[in-house]
Amino acid sequence: MRRILGLVLLALGLAWAQGDKLKACFIYVGPIGDAGWTYAHDQGRKKAEAALPWLETRYVESVPEAQALPVIDRFVREGCQVIFATSFGYMEAVLEAAKKYPNVIFAHATGIKRAPNVATYMADFYQVYYLNGLAAGALSKTGKVGYVAAFPIPEVKRHINAFTLGVRAVNPKAQVLVRWINAWYDPAKAREATEALLSQGADVFAFTEDTPTVIQTAAKKGAYSFGHYTPMLKFAPNHVVSGQIVHWEVIYTDFLKKVKEGVYTAKNLENVDYFWLLQHKAVEMGADYGVPINPKHVPLLQKAQMTVGGKKVSVYDRIMALMKDMQSPKPTFDPFTGPIQDRKGVVRIPAGKKATLQELLSMEWAAPGVVGDWPGEPK
Amino acid sequence: MEEALLRAVLFGTPILLASLGALLSERAGVVNLGVEGMMALSALAAFAVAQEAGPALGALAGVGVGVFLGLFLGVFAVSLRANQFVAGLALAALGLGASGLLGKRYEGVPLAHPLPEEGFALLALGLALALHYLLLGSRFGLYLRSVGENPKAADLFGVSVDGVRYLALALGGGMIGLAGAYLSLAYRPSWTDGMTSGLGWVAIALVILAGWQPLRAVLGAYFFGLLFFLQFRLQGSVPIPSEAFAAMPYLLVILVLALSGRARAPKALGQPFDRGR
Repeated sequence: MRRILGLVLLALGLAWAQGDKLKACFIYVGPIGDAGWTYAHDQGRKKAEAALPWLETRYVESVPEAQALPVIDRFVREGCQVIFATSFGYMEAVLEAAKKYPNVIFAHATGIKRAPNVATYMADFYQVYYLNGLAAGALSKTGKVGYVAAFPIPEVKRHINAFTLGVRAVNPKAQVLVRWINAWYDPAKAREATEALLSQGADVFAFTEDTPTVIQTAAKKGAYSFGHYTPMLKFAPNHVVSGQIVHWEVIYTDFLKKVKEGVYTAKNLENVDYFWLLQHKAVEMGADYGVPINPKHVPLLQKAQMTVGGKKVSVYDRIMALMKDMQSPKPTFDPFTGPIQDRKGVVRIPAGKKATLQELLSMEWAAPGVVGDWPGEPK
Repeated sequence: MEEALLRAVLFGTPILLASLGALLSERAGVVNLGVEGMMALSALAAFAVAQEAGPALGALAGVGVGVFLGLFLGVFAVSLRANQFVAGLALAALGLGASGLLGKRYEGVPLAHPLPEEGFALLALGLALALHYLLLGSRFGLYLRSVGENPKAADLFGVSVDGVRYLALALGGGMIGLAGAYLSLAYRPSWTDGMTSGLGWVAIALVILAGWQPLRAVLGAYFFGLLFFLQFRLQGSVPIPSEAFAAMPYLLVILVLALSGRARAPKALGQPFDRGR
């Protein structure tokens, strides 16, 4: 009898301890050390855990998209209350698991389909790409800017377009030469694609893939570059001008707090979609944390001029002014403000209009100045 | 054009080195499917040692790990007479997994002092020539080939079959290790999990396509490197989808090497030698 009582007490104690904590679990598509996408999510997880004393986290890395469901099963068995799936390819698995486990809360990064217990979230870089594009346009002497891109999907196309609009705002004749490597992580392809662009005269580089290869390769030939996803200044301190840096912890902390407070439940996530930008501090323009532009390149950008509304301004001042505006609670500027035509001359965003969220998420057209193959380009 | 040829050689070099390593052991009758894992571990060892003690020692460490792993494979594939294909695949998986696990703290760190790629390229070319001479022009080469063709006969003539096979695996492992070191010390130069990105498998395929001939492996590796570069150089300027371009290096190398003559595998390739039978 006493033993049973003891067991009951123990069980109650465990239940109480569990109730106090919130267990959030993360599925990563790549290795944590990829210095890119997965690394950034893991940094976000760690920072959220440090900020929220009641949070307990677990993760599994390098989960192929077809293997997501078994991992989710395991997470649920281990008592995970919130599951973050951090790759677009997990979509089907997440939706299926959400039906199977209606009391578990799911959040799907870059996802486009929601359910009562599935939210979607994204920290988007298009504003930052535009700002970096301004700097790239000012720094390129050949007027050819190289762009190494992973896959021709709307997210990447949106970023290339925003970047190109920035480049062209400074140098209307500049070209952005795009090369697809059809991989998120393939250092050899990123390397050779960069070499190919260098041999075609590109002297400034941006990219969307998960390695610092482009930066290292460009720096060897003295070409400037912009980091992606994590601070990459250390890979080429003299050549990394700026870059896109993500702060997933901002979204993770906000989401988990709201789960803890009962604002988000497994029944009301149908319309919960984070598309967080500069103003939410979910993304940052920078060569490193807190370094928007590498001090070594500031004088060059201050000297460079561009025309805004008929007036000459320094590119550096323009970047800083727009960054400040887009970081404010009510930004007035947006890179995708019409009139914008695509490279075939079709009007995509009419004068005076801003691209809607839907238009941003489904962007397939190519901005003027983009040169190269563009799979899925609308006729 | 010069740029394309330079890339052909510099990207062909790791494939060539790994290919030569696999080729050497295959000529002695031992299939080595562990190349990818051996390269990964060597690349990590090279990087780790280079960060602590300089790039020269790093390269040596890469070679050393390659030699060790070659001998390690030998324990199973030669002494224990295990199925060589299974043993090799296990080594590939083990190497990739272990390197990912052990290499965590070196990820996302730039290499302090990279080595010049050109040095490795010259060394690889020299090794190919040396291997060609060794196999076809030296007494040791004769022994080695006889072990790969007819180990029983070699044994009767007093050649130590197991000894030669171990030696071939060790020397070949060293070259595979050098390929790994090239990747992390010169080509990238940094270390990340999975950085070999399938080059080891390309190298294994190249051994067959090159008909087990070192000099043809040189051509095959450089040709692959050239096409790999051209898929990006020509992307967008030729009306071919980028996905089709990506398949081009693999297809064309197979085609050209298939057309360039018939190859014959060493007769005893993949067969464990057991004197009793």
